[in-house]
Amino acid sequence: MSEPHRAAAVPTGRPRRPHRPTPVGPHRPRVRRPLRLTLLAATVALAAVAAGCSGGDPDAPDTPDPAAAATATGGVSGPLCASLPTGTDPGNPESLAGEPVDVAVRWIPVLTTFDAAVRATGLAAELRGAQGVTVLAPTDDAFARKFSASNLDELLIHDRDTLRQLLRAHLVDGSYSLAELVAAGSVTTMDGTRLTVAPAESTARIGDVAQAVCADYRVAGGRIHLIDAVLGNLPTTAGRDDDPAH
Amino acid sequence: MRIRRPSVVVLSGLLAATLGAVTAPSTALGQPASATTAAEPNQVTNLTVTQADGYATLAWTPVEGATDYQIERTPVDANDEPIGPSVVVGIWRPNRQINNDSPTFADAGFNPGDRFRWRVRARFGTEEQPYSAPVTGTTLQPWGDPDVPGENLRTQWETTKAAQYTSDTNEYAYTAEIDRLSDRVRVVEIGRTVLGRPINMFVFGYPTPPTTPEAVAATSPVAINCNVHGNEPGDREACLIMARQLAFSNDPRIIDILSHTTVLIVPTINGDGRAANTRGNSTGQDLNRDYSLIRQPETAAFVRMVRDYRPIASYDGHEYGNTRAGDLPMLPPRHQNVAQSIFDQSQDMIEGFMYARGAEDGWWPCPYGCEGGGNVGLGEETILRNTLGLKNVVNSLLELRSSGGQTRPDEGNTANNRRRKTYSALWTFHRLLDYHRAKAAEIKRARAEAIGFQASNSGRIVFRGSHPIPARPAPHPAEAVPPLDEPRPDMILDDAPCAYKLTPEQYLGARTDGPGGVGATLAERIAAHGWKVVKAADGYYVPLAQPERGLIPLLLDAQGAEEWVGGQRVYPTLTGRHNGPLTVTGFTCIADGTVNGPVTVQPGATLVAYRTTFNGPVTATGAAGVVLGDVTLHGPLQVANSAGPVSLVGNTVSGPVNLVGNGGADAPLVAGNTINGPLSCTGNAAKPTAIEVPNSVKGPRSGQCAAL
Ligand SMILES: [Zn+2]
Repeated sequence: MSEPHRAAAVPTGRPRRPHRPTPVGPHRPRVRRPLRLTLLAATVALAAVAAGCSGGDPDAPDTPDPAAAATATGGVSGPLCASLPTGTDPGNPESLAGEPVDVAVRWIPVLTTFDAAVRATGLAAELRGAQGVTVLAPTDDAFARKFSASNLDELLIHDRDTLRQLLRAHLVDGSYSLAELVAAGSVTTMDGTRLTVAPAESTARIGDVAQAVCADYRVAGGRIHLIDAVLGNLPTTAGRDDDPAH
Repeated sequence: MRIRRPSVVVLSGLLAATLGAVTAPSTALGQPASATTAAEPNQVTNLTVTQADGYATLAWTPVEGATDYQIERTPVDANDEPIGPSVVVGIWRPNRQINNDSPTFADAGFNPGDRFRWRVRARFGTEEQPYSAPVTGTTLQPWGDPDVPGENLRTQWETTKAAQYTSDTNEYAYTAEIDRLSDRVRVVEIGRTVLGRPINMFVFGYPTPPTTPEAVAATSPVAINCNVHGNEPGDREACLIMARQLAFSNDPRIIDILSHTTVLIVPTINGDGRAANTRGNSTGQDLNRDYSLIRQPETAAFVRMVRDYRPIASYDGHEYGNTRAGDLPMLPPRHQNVAQSIFDQSQDMIEGFMYARGAEDGWWPCPYGCEGGGNVGLGEETILRNTLGLKNVVNSLLELRSSGGQTRPDEGNTANNRRRKTYSALWTFHRLLDYHRAKAAEIKRARAEAIGFQASNSGRIVFRGSHPIPARPAPHPAEAVPPLDEPRPDMILDDAPCAYKLTPEQYLGARTDGPGGVGATLAERIAAHGWKVVKAADGYYVPLAQPERGLIPLLLDAQGAEEWVGGQRVYPTLTGRHNGPLTVTGFTCIADGTVNGPVTVQPGATLVAYRTTFNGPVTATGAAGVVLGDVTLHGPLQVANSAGPVSLVGNTVSGPVNLVGNGGADAPLVAGNTINGPLSCTGNAAKPTAIEVPNSVKGPRSGQCAAL
């Protein structure tokens, strides 16, 4: 469900819908930073080639063409895809094709943390406004390997500026397939970090730390690639002894 | 009933999705296995598959020498032809269940309604033995006839096949529809979150639920708290499904349960945290570290609900990241101030009942902590499990193991994982109702004993420290238990005071420990807990000789681990023998005393007495308060025109008892007393209550106490 309905006055003792929760976070910046051109110029040219290319990129001979592999699975490819909604199940890749990024991530069940972060930081509108965006979305497991539970709560509730910057480390200006990223060999995320993108196994290695595990969700105005590690430069806090019990 | 327009909008989407998602139900259930004798050596025989809501129980005859078993599942079509790969979905291990001679496994995670073929094989170490003959069956559709209004409601989690959790707005629409369509349920808003989200509670009864909290309390209700940690949503989905079942099922078992008690379900105590997918509430406070302190509106709402509705048994739902745990880690209230009878009864619910039913149905309850559990499952009174125990509620924590772990290898698929968790919670909550139905008399006795014990203000006070959870010889679900958690010496107070005295500043002063630096006063929080407070000329006295004696010092003593304030310890003013008349002025506390002679409590004075014998009449007129626990009185008791609390718990009175014209806002508490004489109550501002702890009265009961 995208937006809560507005509260209506209701008598006591009946189930109530909420008042529209007061935004509690810092205000979303109204002025967007200029998005950096993130791919090498050659990549843009390559995009046109890749679209019609089934033989793979000669520069990446060890990489099976993700686009080709994707045709049987609703356009997505990677080892995790089979564990996500497929076929006609709600949230299947084809069903998300017309959805904006922030809606699509709510349908991909391993992105609950990423989704929460997008909402907490108010980035949803910004993502919708972009002409095209590529999302390198860490899975819930990736977040759990990176942050302790208390650290994650801290980011989601109190430290949203840091969280917003962290999300920018996972966003790329422009909509690119994984094949295009691989062909380019590197990508610069919205936080200004340049990451290498190298073919690895059947998908790609991103920034030496993350693997694309289900790539090429085509959504309105963008692409979503699920990755198995959190990017950016925040310290790893998972496994600290402060993880709370029940 | 009125539907607000936004509900209709949300609802129409809900119903459309529902009807779209429900396909023609299949009625073919599990077929009995034909293979009763092994065709091959060490082959599993007598495999049966029994369908239930969201899971299938596999049972088989054990193979001599097997170290574990593998459960294989294959999706099949209506002609039983495979339509997908065969996958090992379960590993049965001997510590799953208490009786290894009848192995069972609850297979879950599949999409309800799909058809499968199951096989089971033994392993000797890593050596795989032949599979059993297969058994095919169609799993049960999500509960409720798609053609019957009400029954056909589905949550967002169900319609999306577990791709999405049920949102706040979807919950409210679903809740409103259940409320509108079923006479068995009343939905009440028990409070609001920090951000203003409603905290709803379902109140279920048959044919209709009692209409007031007091009337609900009279049924000794059972309660489920479904979602305190916003990022642990599995139990909440179970609660929402269960609400539909309780509202509309005509299963005789459901009708029977709802005919005998009231079921209270709080689906989302932490709506802000759920919406944000955070553990804490919107301020970052972990609400399950706040149930004693009640700094937050969410926990305060829950505690007031417990005060008013007085559940006698409860579960509190969570999820748990320990991959080596069983399916369903559980733990009773352990704080050492929890009365032994409550601890024992809670253990009976878990070890005596859940382990036994788990072994029948194939689920794996185990003590919280479990293998590799670390330093968890202790005695913090801020945790609901312990808070409720200190409120004399038989209860347990429930964890759903977050991942498939070592025994459910097919849960890399998120939907499979979510379904297993939710349907295991649904199983547990139904068993809670069964336990309450089967053992209500025992639970009430344990509660009455606990309240009597607490009101006697007996024994040391422990600020932090736990009752031990006994380990059982392996293989057993309880072969690994949480730490002993003995109290440290500085967490023990051997000489319990009679009361804590608070200054007006402490009692009424503004506090800064709530959201945004604003906290409720202690007066408000103490009222939320439901404690008796005596307003005297020199301050506010909170006597310990009352039902929540185990909790009071944890919040009012400076030695507490997480206290509100350091109140002044007030010790008894009289112990031992007193011969002759006794006139009580000011604050008098008698402990372990014997008074031979009439006792007269003067106007404005306070009498607190416990473990004391009075030989002679006790007469209080216009007292500030009268609190008696575990007192033996040979003579009449008359308490008239008190300005403050009257509390009589666990006393034996040989003579008439008269409560007349007492004016305190709190109802006089008259619980667990033996009165060899008449009991008469007239003209009290609030009708006296026994909080479901019966009194034994030899003479007639009259006036406001006619029903006590
Ligand atoms: Zn929890």
